[in-house]
This record gives sequence, structure tokens and C-alpha cells, in this order.
Amino acid sequence: MVKLYVDSDKFGDANASPTVDAFHAAVKEIVRTKLAASGGHWDSFVFDKSYALITAEDMAGVEKMMLDAGHLFDWSAAISPQERPDVYKPIEGVSDADMAKFSFEHEDAVTGPDGNLEQRGQGDNVARYPTDCEGIARYVRSPMQVMKFLEEGVPDNTIAIIDDSGGTLTAPILDQFKGVICAGGSTRSHLGILTREYGVPCLMNAKISGIRQGDTVRFECTADPKTAADYQKNVDRTAKVWRVASAD
Amino acid sequence: MALPLTYGQLLETNNLIQQNVDESYWLCVTRTVQESKLFPVPSYMMLSYLMAFYRYPSLLRKIETRMSAEELGDRSREMAMKHRAPGVSWGLPNFYLLGREWLINLGVIKPTDAIEDVMYVMDFWKRFQLALYRNDGHMSRVQYGHRAQILSERQAQVFHSDLYACAEGDELHEAAHAFMASASQYGFLISCESRISLHNHGPYKLTDNSEMIVRDFMDLAESDFPWLDGVAEGVEYNNITVTMAAKDCHFYLVDDWGSFEAEPEFTAEKLVGVGLYTSDNLSEGYVPLGMESRESLIAMFRKLDGQVKEAMNNLWKRIAGYSRDQMLDAGAITYFGIVKDLAHVAGVYDVDDWMKVDERAERFRPLLNDEYGRDVLGELVGLLSNPSQKLSDYSMMMHSNAPTRMYTPIPYSVLSGEGYTPTCGPVYPGVTNLPEKKDVYTTTRGKMSLAQYNKASQDFTPAAVAPENRFLCDTWVKYNAGSDKADALYAISQGTSRKLSGKGSTLSRQDVEALRD
Repeated sequence: MVKLYVDSDKFGDANASPTVDAFHAAVKEIVRTKLAASGGHWDSFVFDKSYALITAEDMAGVEKMMLDAGHLFDWSAAISPQERPDVYKPIEGVSDADMAKFSFEHEDAVTGPDGNLEQRGQGDNVARYPTDCEGIARYVRSPMQVMKFLEEGVPDNTIAIIDDSGGTLTAPILDQFKGVICAGGSTRSHLGILTREYGVPCLMNAKISGIRQGDTVRFECTADPKTAADYQKNVDRTAKVWRVASAD
Repeated sequence: MALPLTYGQLLETNNLIQQNVDESYWLCVTRTVQESKLFPVPSYMMLSYLMAFYRYPSLLRKIETRMSAEELGDRSREMAMKHRAPGVSWGLPNFYLLGREWLINLGVIKPTDAIEDVMYVMDFWKRFQLALYRNDGHMSRVQYGHRAQILSERQAQVFHSDLYACAEGDELHEAAHAFMASASQYGFLISCESRISLHNHGPYKLTDNSEMIVRDFMDLAESDFPWLDGVAEGVEYNNITVTMAAKDCHFYLVDDWGSFEAEPEFTAEKLVGVGLYTSDNLSEGYVPLGMESRESLIAMFRKLDGQVKEAMNNLWKRIAGYSRDQMLDAGAITYFGIVKDLAHVAGVYDVDDWMKVDERAERFRPLLNDEYGRDVLGELVGLLSNPSQKLSDYSMMMHSNAPTRMYTPIPYSVLSGEGYTPTCGPVYPGVTNLPEKKDVYTTTRGKMSLAQYNKASQDFTPAAVAPENRFLCDTWVKYNAGSDKADALYAISQGTSRKLSGKGSTLSRQDVEALRD
């Protein structure tokens, strides 16, 4: 069998992700096979013969190998499982029916009594405001939900609970939220930047637990914002999230 | 145009690669891997890196047949198009090197492959950067402690003098703030969740307690991107620049990814002055928008805010109806096309060059499901856990102290007989899942066809970079202020200034401040 340049590597070892490791091993095997079939001369293979010999069908075979082994892929963009439900893990926590009992559950969320309130987690404050932000928790997790809000309007007093740190999912409705709690990203993520621009109080990288659709929540946007230097130096600087009243 | 394969050249190339390792790692670790429920972001990023690897060398060589990297950098100081930053400044070297690194880990190429391409791309980056940042004397923002003073005094004085004062709660402050929020959000959507439609440079010291940041919003109108055809028809200006004066804070960080940080924190009440401009490679520098009076500026901010909001809502609905392959194309083209404006400046722009996925990159699309895309990107730019990125245990990487390196240097063994290949070859045909691009380009001279745009670009030389002015730098001005030649140079920027028209080249910053409203 033909040996690749990277097959001998004093310091390299397996990829951190099993998926990446499996994909890369499979692609390298394709390269070895095609290189051997072309005569084994790298210089005439790498930027010439390989263009015709290594194909999209070969790459589709790499994914199929994992699917055949029973693997279903994680999804991040809603369009992905929508188009290929057989390839991705099921979509959960998005439909109206799911929402009745759905909540983000982060193992590092700090929970418990806090004065006369109930702390349900903490996050990184994007910008400081004079008073803490209180409103009704509503999960926003899919383009379908955004389209619904776009057509029907965002209910007053909504604190959006989001797990997408990007700025595009909620683009047409972001300025209508009273506040945002995002279970991902950092204060320098796109959603953090935009909420600051709009003057919408926001916690990023929120680790929360037990907050249900319709709960009245409050978060500590009077806390110090978390800066780039804080992230770089691993400074522990968080703002609290409380549940003021349960929707039940 | 091949560089000589010498020890000195390789040392420089590998140093340029390492500079990008250090800074890119810092940029990545101060953020998280960007995911989106709308766009398959990591997957399109990975596709774009392959497009960059296979096409940038050929496309840059094509651009340099008409205009050198140095002249492109010089011209770029006179306008705010996307290629400047974050385009060439970060995207060009890093997208190219990320594509190379990924292919090395797939076993598809070796570290000794395409080395003339690697040397050329890094050399182009160096030459452009040195010219772009000529006024501050650095090659990158990190060299300058994360700041960028692109403007000459000639330009800074006009921005300074023409700022309209504002205060939190007044109409101008609110109108400017509202526009910048909408334009930022629209920019993220245009750029498929990436931040490359908005950028900042500065700070520039205005008074003892105030600094100016210059914010650029780019690619807003119908121009290069097929997904903006129709929905952005009502957006009048493709590139918009907002000058912002801030008091009682210091911007200690203005990085290549469009972020700034201030101490104390920059909050709304600290914004005390704004100005508004448009520009591109066909304009004579920055063209004021609504700057005739305070009232017209407020009206202009509000008008533009309405335009971008309408376009944003229409674009969101369009993209929400896209297939995954269309989203993948749009995102990959946005990233890969981060330096496309170089081709506009040189007048050699071709839709097939920049708006299509090279068929060599396209082969790898079936790998790019959400999970693999997320994990491989995370390993490539954050964890640095690909085999090629691991070093001897003695090594301590900048910022992490880990035995890792984001990009593989060219092995010096190619100088002692190890085989290598020079180039990945010419541009191959491209494919697209997007609608055919409408032949409309919004410029500072109005809407025109691509043929007209290329012709106009080839015919135009901004006065500031005309042969008689190009090398009249701020050091020359220091010793020649008040001369006819210096006054003529300053008149280029002062021509459209409401405060400095005809004021010549001898004014100090204090004089300019005294002339303000």
C-alpha cells in the first residue's frame, strides 16, 4: 500500500473528535487507494490526476460509512435535519408541544434560594444598565418561531431564551425583545454585539436550569460586563439569573 | 512572478505564517466557534477555505497583472471597501492557510506542496499590508498593539472638523445609534452570520479627553452578492462610513475582526460626535452624506436606517427559504470573496472568479454535514488538535503554552533536495446553487453593469495616489506644510469638507478643533 507523507508523524496523534478522526482516516484511505491506482507518483497526482480521481462520490461514501455504522449527526442549522431527517439526530425543543415542558439544563448552573428570589443560573453580562431586566421567558430556537413572531409580533415584555449566539436567526425581531439570555457564545459573539448596539440587556454564555416557557425571570444586567481580557485570563465574572415567578 | 526559493525567502514566508498563527489563535480564543440556527456556519467556512486554497494564488496573480499589491494598499487608504479589513488584513492569509492545513490533515496535500503559491500569497499579504498601514508604520494591527491608524493627517483633519456634536438623548445621537444597530445586524445577515460586513479603525486622538473611531459598513447594496439582488434594490449606498467621536474613554483594542474595546467601557453617553460618508474605488476619497447641516444628517441617518431595515427583513425571508446547499454557497462565497474588491479596484472583476465554488473544492461538500463541520473547524482554529498542529512537548505556543501550532510552515528541507510542487494550478470551473447574478453594481457613481464598472475602475486613479501625490507621506508634510504642493495635497480631502475647504496644510489638531461647530 502507498504511504502518505502524513502517515509518519512524530508528534501528531488522533483528532479530538471521533467524527473528525473517522472522516480523516477514511479520506486518507481514499487518497492512498487513488494514488496507488494512478501509479504512485505524487507530483503528477497531487494537483493533476487527483482532481479527476478523488470525487464527490468518494466523499459521500465517507459520510455513508458512519451512517451505516448507526451514527446520527448532531445538527446546528435548522435546515440540515429539515432536509435530511434520516442523517441527523431528531429536532427537539422547538415545536409548541415541546415548549410546554422544555428547558435548558446546564450542569454548571448555580441554582437555589437567593434572598427572596430563586437563582436559576448565571451568565456573562454584555453591557451594564441602571436596573436589572425582568420579563417573561420565551424560547426562540428556530426560523419557524422567528417567522411566527415576525408575522404576529413579539409579545410585550419578552425575554428571549436563545441558544444561538449568532446575529441572524433573530435579525428581524431582536430589537423587540426586552432582554436576551443566550446559552452560548461570549460577550463578543454577534448576538452580544448586536444587543449592545440595540441597547437590549443581554447575558451570553448563560448556564441556566429549570427556566420554562412563560416563567417570569430577572437577570443582573447591572453587573460588570465581561471583557475580552476577562476571557483571555479566565476571570470569573458572572451575572445572576433569577426566576421571579413560575408560569405554572 | 514566482519568488526565488531561497533560505531568506522561506524564512520570511514562514515568519509571516507564524504571525498569523499567533494572532488568529488569540482572535479565536477570545470568542467561541460561531454557530447559527439559520446558517450552517462552520460547514460553509470549511468550504470557503478550500476555495481560497485553490483560487487565491491565481486570482491574486491576475489582479497583479494590472495593479500591484502595494498600489492596491495605497488606494485602499482612500476608501472603505471590504477587501481592506477584514479582507486582506486577516481573511486572505488565514483562509488560504486554513484550507492548506485542512488538506494536509486529509492527506490530500503535503506541507511541501504548492510552495510557490504559499510564498506568493504571504508575500502579497505583506506588501498590501505595509502599504495600507503606511501611516502607522506597521504590518498588522497586532504589531501596533491592536489598533490601526490608517488615515493620514489630511484625512483625519476632515473627519475631525466635520463631526457634528451629539449627546445621548438628542435626535442626532438617536438617529446615528439606530442606524448603526440596524446596519450591524443587516451586515451579519448579508454576510451569512459572519462579521465581515462591518469594521472599525482607529483610534485617532481628537482632544485630551476624546478619541475617534471610524466604522465601516460594507457591501450593503445590490452589487456582488446574488442574494442581495432585488431585496437590496432600495439601499442607496454600498459602503457607508460613520465617524464617531467618543469622550472620556480610551479604545485600547481595535482588532481585525471588527471588535473594539474601551476603558472605561464605551457606553451610549460617551458618543459625542458623528459624521457620515460613502466611498469606493471610483470615488475621490470619502464622499459626505447628509453633512450639509445637522438636520440633513439626522434625516440621512433615518433614511438609511429605513432602507437597511426593509432590506434586512426581505433578505431574512429570502434566506429562510433557501436550501442548505444555497446557504452553504452563500456563506462560502461570502468568506472566500472577502478580498473580491481587490479585483474591482484593479478593474478585472469576473463573476465566475468570485461568486462560484471551484470544482476542486466542491468535491469535498459531501463531508460537510453540521457535526463534522463544527468539529473540524473547532479542532482547526480552537483546539489545534489535528495531527499536523501538534509539536514537540518542549514547545509552548503563544497565548496557550501548549505544544501546538495552527499552521504548518514550509519545511526547509525543500532547499536540500526534498521534492516539492510549486502550484495547485490555474482557476478551474466553478459551480453554484444560487440564482444567476443580476448585472447591476451599486457604486458611488450610481448603478452600472459589470463591464462599465471594470472599465471605470481601469480608467480612474484617485488624485491622492496619482504619481505626483502618492509618495507625499505625512513625514514629507511635516517638513513641507504650507508649500503649494502640500496645500494641493490637502485640498484633495478638503474639497468636500464643510469646515476645511481651502484651509491648506498648516492647521494643527487644535486649530481644527477650534473650527468645529
